[in-house]
Amino acid sequence: MSSEIFREIREASEAGEPRVLATVARTRGSTPRKAGATMLLRPDGTFQGTIGGGCGEAEVWQDAMDTMADGTPRLTVVDLTEPIDGDDKICGGIMEVFVERVTE
Amino acid sequence: MDTNIQTVLVDEIEGALGGGPPIAVATVTGSGDPPWLIPGDKLLIRSDGTYVGGFGYEEIDTAMIKLAKQSLTGFPRISIETIYVSSDGHATNRRYQSRLGDAELMVQIWEAPARLIVVGGGHVGLAVATFGEKLDFAVTLIDDREDFANRERFPMAEQVLVGDIEEQLNSLVFDQSAHVVLVSRGHLQDERALKAVIREPVGYLGMIGSQRRTQTVLTHLAEEGYDQIDLEKVSTPVGLDIGAETPEEIALSILAEIVMLRRGGNGGRMGRRMQLEVGEDLKN
Repeated sequence: MSSEIFREIREASEAGEPRVLATVARTRGSTPRKAGATMLLRPDGTFQGTIGGGCGEAEVWQDAMDTMADGTPRLTVVDLTEPIDGDDKICGGIMEVFVERVTE
Repeated sequence: MDTNIQTVLVDEIEGALGGGPPIAVATVTGSGDPPWLIPGDKLLIRSDGTYVGGFGYEEIDTAMIKLAKQSLTGFPRISIETIYVSSDGHATNRRYQSRLGDAELMVQIWEAPARLIVVGGGHVGLAVATFGEKLDFAVTLIDDREDFANRERFPMAEQVLVGDIEEQLNSLVFDQSAHVVLVSRGHLQDERALKAVIREPVGYLGMIGSQRRTQTVLTHLAEEGYDQIDLEKVSTPVGLDIGAETPEEIALSILAEIVMLRRGGNGGRMGRRMQLEVGEDLKN
């Protein structure tokens, strides 16, 4: 998994294409993926790898797209403990995800 | 991020993942309050202590190099952790020991995936290899019977070695990334395999068998002068006590033990542990 992500980063760098890497830096409680999980985002919004599927991935994806645009790294705190619109989020923990551009 | 360090990083991470010496990469994730470090700044630390990059504070670089060297030689390795640093070089991985205004760093260890060396291609060996590959182990399967050690039976293995078990084991290089599971067809094969591996610096060494049978094997080795320290390293009878009966359940029990040791778990039941943690929280 990791090897494939780094191969894509190298190939993208060589081709002059941007990529944004999201890494789960820390978790508390029950989260879909543990610290170290990575997701690599492409300019068209598609990605390789997962940091948790439905549980919080959309929030990270949005921040990653912002980082793609402005180059500023972000630390996204995904809180999976709060129910939204009466729906319980099934994951129940807190996840800190570091988002950074990994190509120039 | 600096283009040069980015290129070096990708090259060196790929090298480490491909089997080279492990490396550590520290990345600023929190700039501190008021901000004094730059998010995304990185320091790459190699196993030999040399490094690339830095944070612009000599004390921080020095503290992180020291910490990374410990992480790179420790076992079980913590693959990623958050470190809180102060500008005087004070660094801790405990939030309660952090200071007001501390910046946060993410320290990641990059290394080749853990290896699972399965001796014996029978029912249990097949289940161990299957589950092990799902758990991201690079699997090597060894058996002296071609009917049990072939690509059709073990498509998930990175390596299938057929031949004399001792010879095949001796052809491998062992280190902490190697997890060896002895599940061959009989105690004679397991004993020979055990002798070939027991003095190697492996991360895990487990041997299947009943209490009585495995004790007999260990006694033989003790009589032949093998060190007590080495004998005590052997996980045998193998696995966690989950009441396993079928080959798949036994494989689950073995891998559960390996994961527990790698990740520093205790093998207890979550439900009970959660109750303890709630108690801890109340104290804090």
